[in-house]
Amino acid sequence: MVYFFQNFLNALQWGSFYALIALGYSMVYGILMLFNFAHGDVFMTGAYIGLGTALFFTMIFSSGAVSVVPGWIILVLTILSSMALASILGMIIERIGYRPLRNAPRASAAITGLMIGIILETGNLAILGAQRFSFPSIIDTVTWEAGGIFFTNKKILIVAVALFLMAALHVFIKKTKWGMAMRAMSYDPLAVPLMGVSVNIVAPMTFAIGSGLAAAAGVLYSMAYPVLDPMMGVNLGWKAFVAAILGGRGSIMGAALAGFILGFIEIFVAMIFPSTLRDLIAYSIILAILTFRPYGFFGQAHSAQLRL
Amino acid sequence: MMSRFSMLCGEVPALGWLLGILASVTAEYVIGEDLSNILGMDKAPVLFGVLMAFKEPLMIPNLLAYAFIIYVFPAVSTGILTRVPANRLAGRLDHLPVIISGLLHISFLYLIIHFWAGMNDYHLIVIKITMISVILTLSMNVINGYMGEFSCSHPGFMAIGAYTTSVMTLVLFTKSRFGAGPILPEAAGPFVFPIVLVIGGLLTSLAALIVAIPSFRTRGDYLAIISLAFTFMIKSIIENMEIIGGARGLGDQPDFSGLTAVFAWTVLCIWVVNNFVTSVPGKAMNAVRDNESAADAMTVNTRKTKITAFMFGAFWAGVAGGLLAHMLRYINPGTFGLQKLAEIFAMVYFGGLNSIYGSIVGAASISLLGEALRPLELYKWIVIPLLLIIVMIKRPTGLMAFMEFNMKKLLRPRDRGKEEGPVG
Amino acid sequence: MDKLLHIEKMSHSFGGLQAVQNFSLEIGAGEIVGLIGPNGAGKTTVFNLITGVYKPVSGRVMLRGRDIAGEQPHTIASLGIGRTFQNLLLWRHMNVLDHVKIAHYSQVTYGLAGAFFGTPRRNRQEREIEQTSMELLKRFRVDHFALLPVGSLPYGAQRRVEIARAMATRPRLLLLDEPTAGMTPDELKEMIGIIKGIHADYGVAILLIEHRMKFVMELCSRIVTLVFGEIIAEGAPMEIRNNPKVIEAYLGREDIT
Repeated sequence: MVYFFQNFLNALQWGSFYALIALGYSMVYGILMLFNFAHGDVFMTGAYIGLGTALFFTMIFSSGAVSVVPGWIILVLTILSSMALASILGMIIERIGYRPLRNAPRASAAITGLMIGIILETGNLAILGAQRFSFPSIIDTVTWEAGGIFFTNKKILIVAVALFLMAALHVFIKKTKWGMAMRAMSYDPLAVPLMGVSVNIVAPMTFAIGSGLAAAAGVLYSMAYPVLDPMMGVNLGWKAFVAAILGGRGSIMGAALAGFILGFIEIFVAMIFPSTLRDLIAYSIILAILTFRPYGFFGQAHSAQLRL
Repeated sequence: MMSRFSMLCGEVPALGWLLGILASVTAEYVIGEDLSNILGMDKAPVLFGVLMAFKEPLMIPNLLAYAFIIYVFPAVSTGILTRVPANRLAGRLDHLPVIISGLLHISFLYLIIHFWAGMNDYHLIVIKITMISVILTLSMNVINGYMGEFSCSHPGFMAIGAYTTSVMTLVLFTKSRFGAGPILPEAAGPFVFPIVLVIGGLLTSLAALIVAIPSFRTRGDYLAIISLAFTFMIKSIIENMEIIGGARGLGDQPDFSGLTAVFAWTVLCIWVVNNFVTSVPGKAMNAVRDNESAADAMTVNTRKTKITAFMFGAFWAGVAGGLLAHMLRYINPGTFGLQKLAEIFAMVYFGGLNSIYGSIVGAASISLLGEALRPLELYKWIVIPLLLIIVMIKRPTGLMAFMEFNMKKLLRPRDRGKEEGPVG
Repeated sequence: MDKLLHIEKMSHSFGGLQAVQNFSLEIGAGEIVGLIGPNGAGKTTVFNLITGVYKPVSGRVMLRGRDIAGEQPHTIASLGIGRTFQNLLLWRHMNVLDHVKIAHYSQVTYGLAGAFFGTPRRNRQEREIEQTSMELLKRFRVDHFALLPVGSLPYGAQRRVEIARAMATRPRLLLLDEPTAGMTPDELKEMIGIIKGIHADYGVAILLIEHRMKFVMELCSRIVTLVFGEIIAEGAPMEIRNNPKVIEAYLGREDIT
């Protein structure tokens, strides 16, 4: 039982990463009816930007070996700056890879997205080389124990930040003018431009917000697993994409929930079966779900196609 | 001047271009080494000198001169000079049944390739990889282009073909980990290997049902995920099967993918795929792709069409996997991952959807470029994606999409103006 | 003798909405029947029920004595029901000739072996199909467009291609869903000629959804009026025209000419 709760916490943390990334996939889908296939690599780039800004802020705020400001301020600055920079990256991706192809076959835009992702990975390798970097430990790890279950402050922080960002997104979408424009556009992509809201503003904004969330996920992920790797976005990104699909395309909170569900599936599969079988079983479950529930948990059956 | 020149080039029949290529290959063979010395290079540039151009940009003019003297000039001049007799001969051949004239041309092409590949081992590897890529690209084009599904299952199909054929040949021809010593002598290879490949391809077709059946109800994004999950599952299954080497891979396959075998399979693949996509059941794929309801109302059995497309494409992907395994003679699960998928996507979408010419051009250009940039692995994966993004923005369905391949048109004589027309 | 098509108390609903209710209709061989009714009356749903796009919740659909309710659409099509669509469902990447060739799908007997390996039988059949397709195109005066992509044709020609395609399936019953939608008066006249022509040449029965009364009156021997999924009147054109229920529900709001 203790073991179960321990893993419950792990699954919650693992699911937060998926959920944050899946949100970006789902938001872009809602607006453009297209998935941003470079999104996994935006997560990776976000983590590396986080590494850079974390080192930068640690440097300027320290005298000698001692930091003059508390760790959490550096962490907040790191997350915010990484989110901001990744948002710009997201807008660039939209401009290069998606805007010119808005009326092209959907598969073509998927290809450009994939290719931008590959360029991000390879570009990272070309600039930083094959060596692995480790993320600085900005705040000290504190461990608590309650009834045999171990909590670290980082785990709780990660889940809390993830939930906070999701809540913020929810408020943004429900309450602000731009959020409403986004919702309207995912409801009817043709009517909204007629009402004076340009796709050329809403689409980059959506990419920016999604990329910002992915970058936040990247920094949080690096806190939990500090060794960075240019290919880290591939595996996580694809799984988050799966979560976005399972949540139902374009259903934003569905994507977040499915992200957590996927996290739970993976952690509990690894709890019962050998870890080498984790991917196999997770993907078999996904395949089964999609075969019997082809439109995901929360999506409606509308027949957009990734076709010619 | 230029228009006169392009008019002359337009009069050269396929046969003439083959002669021209022969001239280039001969030129490379006879004077390649000497010319590279004269132009101040240590050795003859391999694969059009792309690598050398990257390492020593100052050599680019010399490389261009080399490429012109060895490749462009002999090919074009021979083509133009021989156009009259070549057209006459092509005219004769044109009266024969297309299969005979086609076979004659193909035999000639084989001789040229054999000659070029015989020059050094690197040429041999490059040409074999290129031809295997043609099979792969065609097979994916059947599913993603002609059938219009966004399927990511190809690396999985290849892996199944590669592993099943490897296990069969290892059991039959070697003293392997699978038990008893060789059952058949190595000399029986050329006869047994085709059967092994067919069995491997058929097994791949069966596995393709896992992706094909969900495609009845879902298309597009969901199918992308299902097929991707399929690829990951196959990879994961292989990693967990210690008997076939697990993550460490499987090696020492007998060397059966010779130039002749690969060439023959490539020609067979082009022929069969072309037969299929020009037939009514094959064109039914396009109908289902463009509008499923209309296809259904026009008596097209959509489920059968989808299943056929997937199984047919998977068969050829399996064959390509088998050929690749016996060429590399070592495979591991990592060979069949996302990188492979990106590479096949690049070939298919660069060359053009729904097009056999496109598949050949896409496979040849991307794999030659990939080989040329191989020592600079990193740049390869920046140059190819950039190229593909530009192509997608300019021509979203690829360079030569929606073109029908017609052997008779391709080989016909070009001297009579009234038969002029774009061929591809 | 059995009628060509015999529909008996066919009903269908979407969720809670009763789309078609107790729809009964008989069509004899070679008859032209009109199906009229205000927008949203369920006319296209009737077509989709007959052709197997939807499966009727209850009732029977008999084609030459065989119950086809619940069969796959392609089976029903190959049993002899051809159709066109209200908003032109053509295959946009394909040329005109291929449209008609593909509609021969169920008549192909060379199988996959023939498709893969180009057997003599396949070559012979492909040639025959090409020939009959060209004849059909000529019949509908679109043969000069044969090798053009279908999207590049003028609208009226696209409509004709769609009918030619439906005729290539060798139907005994042709369902035409608003064949004159969006047509100019000249094209309309041409369409009347075409429909009369295929009726005379092929002896095919036609069930036709149409809004233009002039068109329906001229072509049909019998007219069925559908309102809110139910037949409110059935009879000869003159009877329908003077039926007070029809006038109230439908015609009263439109100009009867």
